[in-house]
Amino acid sequence: MPLNFQQVIDRIKEIGLGAKARQQDLDTRRRHARQLLDEWSKKTAELRDKVERARQSDPGLRCALPLDEPLDAATQQPEGQKIALLLAADGSQIAPDRHAAVLYSLVNVGAIRIEPGSGKAPEVFTESSLLFADDLYTETGILTGEAVDLQRDIAERKKLLELAKQVTGPCVALTDGPLELWGAKDANEGDYRRNLDIHKSILSQLQAKNVTVAGYVDKPGADLVVRALEVALQPKGQLKDIRRQHPLRGVTDRWLYGDVLEAGQRSAVFGMQSVSRPHYIGDLALHFFYINVGDAQHPSIVRVEVPKWVVDDKDQLDLLHSVLLEQCRVMGMRPYPYILHRAHEIAVVKFEEKQQVEQQLELELRRAGGEMGEISAKQSAKDLPGRSGIK
Amino acid sequence: MTDSIQIGYLLRAGTAGFVAGCSVSQLEAPALGELVRAPLEKAYSVYGLITDIHIDDDGLVRQLVTAGNISPEVMHDNRERRIVPVEMTVLTVGYELDGKVSHLLPPRPPLSLDVIYLCSDADLTKFTGSGHFGYFRHILQAKEIPIEEVLAAHILQVKNKTKNVRWVEQATQELITLLKDDYPTLMTVLGALGEVSA
Repeated sequence: MPLNFQQVIDRIKEIGLGAKARQQDLDTRRRHARQLLDEWSKKTAELRDKVERARQSDPGLRCALPLDEPLDAATQQPEGQKIALLLAADGSQIAPDRHAAVLYSLVNVGAIRIEPGSGKAPEVFTESSLLFADDLYTETGILTGEAVDLQRDIAERKKLLELAKQVTGPCVALTDGPLELWGAKDANEGDYRRNLDIHKSILSQLQAKNVTVAGYVDKPGADLVVRALEVALQPKGQLKDIRRQHPLRGVTDRWLYGDVLEAGQRSAVFGMQSVSRPHYIGDLALHFFYINVGDAQHPSIVRVEVPKWVVDDKDQLDLLHSVLLEQCRVMGMRPYPYILHRAHEIAVVKFEEKQQVEQQLELELRRAGGEMGEISAKQSAKDLPGRSGIK
Repeated sequence: MTDSIQIGYLLRAGTAGFVAGCSVSQLEAPALGELVRAPLEKAYSVYGLITDIHIDDDGLVRQLVTAGNISPEVMHDNRERRIVPVEMTVLTVGYELDGKVSHLLPPRPPLSLDVIYLCSDADLTKFTGSGHFGYFRHILQAKEIPIEEVLAAHILQVKNKTKNVRWVEQATQELITLLKDDYPTLMTVLGALGEVSA
């Protein structure tokens, strides 16, 4: 059966009817958030204290932890051209599919090394890891999609470290998405812990090489600073109730800093209060800032996550600021770091490639007398061609 | 005399023509009107003339051009590292079987990923010197190609590589004969050939 369009259309009409009221409500909350940002801009110590108190009640609180810069600080692009070698890595994966004829998984990492100003073609790298048989099992069972994601994230960072070890001068290493390792909620806890240790070890080695490491979050949907403002709103005695208090719901940091940052400017740097904060301590502590990589007509606010050693070194912070703007400018009207786009392009496993891997694996297993499975009846039915309609 | 140069791999083919692909970095060798060869088996090759070379754009290239000020690194990256194939359309003009060159269409076309070579001077001399310009009819019948430009480029290349001036005169005479009933095409072909002899 196709969609029940009557039901969907009725709901769409309802949504349309409420649009104006919702927009007015959102505008009110946005004005409130903007007003709070001004009001608390210089009261960073007080706000930091409130966030710390709220964290004691709710360790899962995810928000910005103000440092010393005013909340509405806007730093211009550093003057002068900063030259550094650029590295980026991205990954893609095929999770084990029990409905497929052969159970396997694949992690593919694409990496790129650009030497700006050299006039040379960048170097590109691909590393593909096929997981089969025992590789597919953890101590608690078969690899889940989240566990494969973790393996991919670690593989990306290992590749960055491998490339960074060959660098002597200034170097910026970028990944797409948050810097912290995701997966604590869904993946096997022991597996996550092991990978977290590897991740921290990689970060420490990158720090030892003085590499400027950053995670780039395009079109961030998070409300980290806004959430800190919600903490600010809460009376001290009621901070333990913060989990249920969302007076600024719907207001995003992207909107807030779109109103603060002009083209090329970056925001203040904030500490990251999240459930993973205890895991990243000292020089590895996670921080972030916002940057407007757009132009005067089309602002584009993105979040950049960095470890503390980058925050503590003004040269590294300035270098990162300049590199990100330069890289985004390469892409014209849709700003995004060129090097990250290329890393993605190198890493992505296309559907045809996936089919080729499966065919070759099946062929080899058949040739070698291995046991072959078959596509599940459910998958087989899904793969049937649909009706083409009346001609 | 130079050896054959590999210029790409076959993408798709029919009896009357085929399309070969190569990366942008390999694009220095092939040129419009050049004679190419696809060796299929030990004693069987298909010959063709390059009638078009084109490079497709993609989403990234379109976006990059809007930014302007493209750095040399980005330019090299897109030309040398990204998978953006150059496509060469080839008009089949004959074949060679057991050492004998024919200007008829081949019995079967080359297959996917067959290697395509630019003909060596020896190949060119052998192919153009066989028969009596029989392959010209394939060119003159191919209405979708720039006939006069392909002919002029081909004849110029034969002239430069084989130094056979007599062959050029005979080729021109043959074209006049073949096009005696098609005055507009004859005039454009002769106009282009005028550029060759200039």
